[in-house]
Amino acid sequence: MTEKVAYLSSQWRDEVEKRLKSELTPEQMKHITTSVAFNYTNCPGGNAKFLYFKCEDGSVTDVLVDEGEPPQAEFVITGNYDLFAQITQGIIKSHRALMSGKLKLKGNMVKALKLASLADRLNRIMGQIPTTY
Amino acid sequence: MSTKPQRDPYFIDFPKRVSQIQEKMAQEDIDVYLGSRLRTLSWVTDAFCPWRSYIIIPAEGLPTAFTFVIDAARVADDSWLDEDHVLGYAPLGGMNQIAQISDFIKEELGVKKGRIGFESGLSNYLPEGNMTLFEYESFKGALSDCTFVNAHHIIDELAIIKDEGTINRFREASRIVDEGHKAVKEAISKGGWKNLTETEIAGIAALAMRRAGSVWEWSFTGGNEIASGYRTGLAGGACTPPTTRKLQAGQPLMVDIHAMFKLALGDHAHNYLIGPATDRQLWHAQNFIDIVSLTLKTYRAGISPVSLGEQMMDFAEEKGFAEYMVPGFEHGIGMLGDEWRIGPNDGPFAFWTNPDHVYRENEVLICAMQYACPEEDIGFRYENPIVIKKDKCEALSRFALRVEVIE
Repeated sequence: MTEKVAYLSSQWRDEVEKRLKSELTPEQMKHITTSVAFNYTNCPGGNAKFLYFKCEDGSVTDVLVDEGEPPQAEFVITGNYDLFAQITQGIIKSHRALMSGKLKLKGNMVKALKLASLADRLNRIMGQIPTTY
Repeated sequence: MSTKPQRDPYFIDFPKRVSQIQEKMAQEDIDVYLGSRLRTLSWVTDAFCPWRSYIIIPAEGLPTAFTFVIDAARVADDSWLDEDHVLGYAPLGGMNQIAQISDFIKEELGVKKGRIGFESGLSNYLPEGNMTLFEYESFKGALSDCTFVNAHHIIDELAIIKDEGTINRFREASRIVDEGHKAVKEAISKGGWKNLTETEIAGIAALAMRRAGSVWEWSFTGGNEIASGYRTGLAGGACTPPTTRKLQAGQPLMVDIHAMFKLALGDHAHNYLIGPATDRQLWHAQNFIDIVSLTLKTYRAGISPVSLGEQMMDFAEEKGFAEYMVPGFEHGIGMLGDEWRIGPNDGPFAFWTNPDHVYRENEVLICAMQYACPEEDIGFRYENPIVIKKDKCEALSRFALRVEVIE
């Protein structure tokens, strides 16, 4: 894939789902079952959007991008669009954004610790998608 | 939520404790109890919470503890509460203790305008854990539509009378302490004391107690408190963290050691004279033994700290050693974090023992005495957890009461 897709567009979502399903094995994902919703504030155009992942037994089953309220998720991470875009591009590390308070996490912190490295794997794959932000 | 089977001698019905708290909360129209004191964490979670921790008790249902994330999984493993009810806080967005707890109260418990009971007060015990001014102002800011009321008395009153499981835990902690005393006595006997330091004595006791099942030498006063020579006689000296001072012939040795078993606390002091002992030293030692013996015989339900104190000081005056006695014969004890004050906060000085507190059956306290003669570099300490009975007390440490002369 060489042509760029718009960040959080339906084409971008499709590419994310395709890559996650093909590049991440249940073993790499430690057979986890979880869900996480990223709430994007201050998106271009002024709307709020969400990016939602669901993983069952280590397999990515749902990738959703939409406006409004995301489905119920085990973890909810809220931040502004520009920050998430920089994280996806690898410009800013997610843990630095959390430590600075620019991202707000809701969920069981102990479980989140166990999932931090897996979230990084997801992010690295998303960062490889040619994207316009 | 199931807890351990009731045939376990150390069984404590923690869900019942929570229900008792919730009944009191309802009586006082409190929607959420936000506990922060170490004694509260121990009493409700049954887990050792050394990091700043909080317990959120809703009007109904299970409580949720919050502790530093690096220790949350271990606390959940030790506690009867499951991992969904022991959460970790961290310096991350949304995860710091103020944001996480206030969000939990508003969103998980749905309490946006209620009354929140918190724990404020004064303590001579450093790790007490009352809410700090910063925490109070931060929680009030985050829960701006809630009313905050000081509610520490709910836990304090419920925790006074000990149940059978708690008392059995205290018995076991004292049995462990006695193992420490046996090891020290064996180590210093027959000239073994030569070249030993106070810190080494503390370590010998610690090893023996840990072998016997103690988690740690819990006291914030220095773990195992060992004093020798002039340090035994420091005026009012009821706190002697060990030093590298070497034991010496002709000097006293005070061995005050501490063990913890399932958050119950062992605390027993035993005293020696490293020989040769002078007649004057033996006179002091006999005075000490006499007053400890009389005190243990006197403790029972219905008496008070002041009535017992007056009686004991009259005895000391009559026998001619009152000037060497610290005029106090007790301090409070409970599960880890519950130390010093006896009974509720209802005395003439806020958050100190009420001298007129009337002991009831199944209270547990430390029978404690300090005998100090600084001008002669000699002193003795007695501490032993006791259970108040109807017409007597049960001394939990069984190590023989005497001041032993070691050659």
